[in-house]
Amino acid sequence: MNSTAMGSKKPHRRRAFSRADRTTLTAFVGVPLFFHLLLVWVPAFLTIVLSFTYWSGISISRIKFAGFANYKNIFFDTPAFWEGIQNNIIWLVWFAGIATPIGILLAYQIDRQIRGHKFYETAYYLPVVLSLAVTGIIWNFLLRPDGFVNGLFGRDIDNAISFFGNYDINIYVILTIASWRHIGYIMLLYLAGLKSVDMALREAASLDGATEWQTFKKVIFPAMKPVNVIVIVITIIESLRAFDIVYIIYGSSAGFPILGTLVFQNIAGEGASMKGAAYAVILFVLSIGPIIAYLRTTFKSDVQ
Amino acid sequence: MSEVKNGISRRSVLKGAAVGGLGIAAGGSLLAGCGSDGTGALAFGARTVDAGPTAQLKALVAAYTAKTGNEVTYNATESNAFQNNLSQYLQGTPDDAFQWMAGYRMQFFAEQGLLVDLTDVWNEIGSQYADSYKTAATGLDGKQYFVPQSWYPWGMHFRKSMFADLGLSADTVTNWDEFLKMLDGMKKKGLVGFAAGDKGGWEAMGTFDILNARINGYQFHVDLLAGREKWTDAKVLDVFTHWEQLIPYMNPNVLDLEWDGAMQLLLQKKAGSMLMGSWFGGNFKEQSEADYADLSIIPFPEINPEFGRDTVDAPIDGFCVAANGANNAGGADFLKFAGDMEGVQAMLDAKDADGKSIPMTSANKGQDTSTYDAFQKEQLAVMDEATYITQFLDRDTRPDFAGPVVGPAIQSWFKNPKDVNKIVDTLQAQWDALPPLA
Amino acid sequence: MSIDVELQAAATKYRNKQKIKDRFISLFIGIFAVVWIFPIAWTIWSSLRPYKEVRANGLFSVPKVLNLANYADAISRMELPTYFFNTALITIPAVFLTLFFGSLIAFVVSRYSFKWNVSLLLLFTAGNLLPAQLVFIPVFKMYITLGKAVGIPRLLYDSPWGVVLIHVAFQMGFATFVLSSYMKTVPKEISESAMVDGATVFTHYTKVMLPLLRPALASLAVLMTTWIYNDFFWALVLMSTDSKRPITSALGRLQGEFVTDYNLLAAGAVIAALPTLIVFFILRKQFVSGLTLGSTKG
Repeated sequence: MNSTAMGSKKPHRRRAFSRADRTTLTAFVGVPLFFHLLLVWVPAFLTIVLSFTYWSGISISRIKFAGFANYKNIFFDTPAFWEGIQNNIIWLVWFAGIATPIGILLAYQIDRQIRGHKFYETAYYLPVVLSLAVTGIIWNFLLRPDGFVNGLFGRDIDNAISFFGNYDINIYVILTIASWRHIGYIMLLYLAGLKSVDMALREAASLDGATEWQTFKKVIFPAMKPVNVIVIVITIIESLRAFDIVYIIYGSSAGFPILGTLVFQNIAGEGASMKGAAYAVILFVLSIGPIIAYLRTTFKSDVQ
Repeated sequence: MSEVKNGISRRSVLKGAAVGGLGIAAGGSLLAGCGSDGTGALAFGARTVDAGPTAQLKALVAAYTAKTGNEVTYNATESNAFQNNLSQYLQGTPDDAFQWMAGYRMQFFAEQGLLVDLTDVWNEIGSQYADSYKTAATGLDGKQYFVPQSWYPWGMHFRKSMFADLGLSADTVTNWDEFLKMLDGMKKKGLVGFAAGDKGGWEAMGTFDILNARINGYQFHVDLLAGREKWTDAKVLDVFTHWEQLIPYMNPNVLDLEWDGAMQLLLQKKAGSMLMGSWFGGNFKEQSEADYADLSIIPFPEINPEFGRDTVDAPIDGFCVAANGANNAGGADFLKFAGDMEGVQAMLDAKDADGKSIPMTSANKGQDTSTYDAFQKEQLAVMDEATYITQFLDRDTRPDFAGPVVGPAIQSWFKNPKDVNKIVDTLQAQWDALPPLA
Repeated sequence: MSIDVELQAAATKYRNKQKIKDRFISLFIGIFAVVWIFPIAWTIWSSLRPYKEVRANGLFSVPKVLNLANYADAISRMELPTYFFNTALITIPAVFLTLFFGSLIAFVVSRYSFKWNVSLLLLFTAGNLLPAQLVFIPVFKMYITLGKAVGIPRLLYDSPWGVVLIHVAFQMGFATFVLSSYMKTVPKEISESAMVDGATVFTHYTKVMLPLLRPALASLAVLMTTWIYNDFFWALVLMSTDSKRPITSALGRLQGEFVTDYNLLAAGAVIAALPTLIVFFILRKQFVSGLTLGSTKG
């Protein structure tokens, strides 16, 4: 399909393509496109279809049409779903309101070459390079009943603070761990962007009597628009897709429900059902909004 | 020598019957494997990476290879990862034989055609097992799909030394009132009375099982898990009412601990008792012989005199053969060895890295109960007292209900016990919303 | 002239004021940074102490023994060489293929104007952002069906290649996006002169564009390596043999295996983290620019 499209389109203005060139171009686009469609978009579409069926994920001949039953089950009979949504929203608010701004603030300060900025940059970025499996182990060391923090508070294992089990605080514990990585990530993104903003611009602004906040708001922030878009999208998408850190800590139990683990819990283990597919589709629908917004901003110039 | 020859003839008979459609392939390997036993090399998947059980399984594999000449590739996976991945594992490229559990979670996969019929294995080794094990190994279609390895009861575990300090004995904790009195005494001494963990989402199912069986009886429990009774029944609410009475005696961080965290409380003498399966005795033994010798188990106390202490959760672990494995005949042959007393003996004789024996209560009649250590004898006593044996909640009901529905429901009950009415409502609603079993 | 002097004085004043302020900020950020790396430091500290001693004397006891025994133990018991080899078997081909495919699409899209250019870019970039769980079941089914159809059950399922392909399919989107933005900064004249010289599309790609892309490819390679190295989801669900899994998935196993010996586990975690840390410290520049190529040069 793609090859005919390529062939029939108006060729480059300088000259017509030779046959060999046309084949090359088709292959250049066709091969990657084939893999991408086959392993990303086709399965995504199939999962959407499967979310309207009953199926244990095993024998294809046993797929049964279920209509909206899986969705009905999720929306009306599964309290974990609403808890999950609530946790995802808190996650997003925390990331957008606290973690991301801290990352930007750090980047802004470190960018001014304050003393030790190289060390700080490395320190804040270090957690991002660690795998989540390692991150989970590291934080478990601190927060276990016989771990560092409980030891610090003089608690023994029979009266330890329940960092992962107390539902009033565990979301903040998880978010602290997640932020530990997120802040460094945002900081580095922003830092690299700031390097492209002329230092002179800032000084000029402050000479004009602008406060630092005004300088940031009026001069730097607008100059950073492309990075801002990326930062916003990463913040939203990461909050919605959050999975790894929760899985590392709680396994596939619903100890801390968020959409990402609910999908996994219902689609993978022994009790696999297409309720999991329906969760995945809900997650997809929620993420597609920010994705489209992001793409529209990024490709605006191309579309014109 | 003659034993090996004998083995060949018996095994080829077995193969012809058990494998059916795969007869040609199996025949080929019979010829190729000339000189050895004929079923050829196979792969075995263990669902544990713990040192003790691993030593046992490796001893079993070594004994099998020594006897038959068949090489066995040993693949081990951590148990949670293995369980989470089982459906994919069985559909994809599974090991020929693998370690699994009896009950619904075996029957479910048998029914999906992912397990190999082991009726012929049972015809040969069946006489070495009590009927109840055969029942537990049987699928919904009446055929056997499972070979038992070991069992363990769920019961109240405590440390003899602590019990003595508190002036308690097994005879003084037989009913609910005495039980609460015991917990009260422990609490006054500054101990956690009833060590509990439920971060994994399955640990507390054992408490639900036993309370339900004690209060409402075996039949109600089984019917409830099969969907013949309702979760909204007042009887279920009664279970949670009793359970709530235990909360003041539990460690405050139940949802922060997995089973091993609760075990640490008992191990470090911070807790007076714990409801758990006796398998963790191995961990005590790894710690020290003295800790293991101090460990003791009694049945969960009676609540409703009508039912006494007539039911116990006693899960059976064992082995299955994966239909999608490369060598079904080999898998079945290996399982026949594992189920036979010869294989069982190899596991019983296994020693850990320090040369200590590893406790195991085999399902095979051939394991002389007089060789049991003190803790194992107590386990047997717990079993003997019970008339009815259940597996465990997540082995006795649909897998798409136990893990994704009951587990989270109990966790949210711990979060807020006052929500109990809402919780049983959603449990029933989610049971009703389950897809019909195909 | 005088305005210039005034300005300079103002600038000096500004700088002096800023210097004092910076000292405070530096102090604050410094304290924060120490807190930040403390969890890692504590893990490394724990990995140097024997578990038995910690259990006996307490968490904060003054260590009698500080050595690398846990590391030696971890290396011998965790079969680390196997797991590192598995990781390399997945990461290297995946990074290479991702960059190769990404550069092909980016090249066509940015150098030849077709009507489909923007749609293609949109498709790839959006695909990159989809949640992995959304595609998991069908991909799994495809893998085993294909394996059975060609008679090699482990063609893709339970094989490093299957994991490689799914990484490539997803990450290709990011690579395409970044590389195409980067290519836009390369003057069109270079390409045009190549075409006037009668170069084929193929030589245009290999001889003209690829050399120019080298810095961008290097940065992306570093970034992709850490991403793919750190992933554990796909290796968990698309592989069934534990001894084939990469090191990050294997950590879960170690967690189960050494459930009581936390100090040994700490050593294992440090070892598993080492390669990415080394890559990060050596190639920090590439790392940073890889992250921002797409955003700043676009």
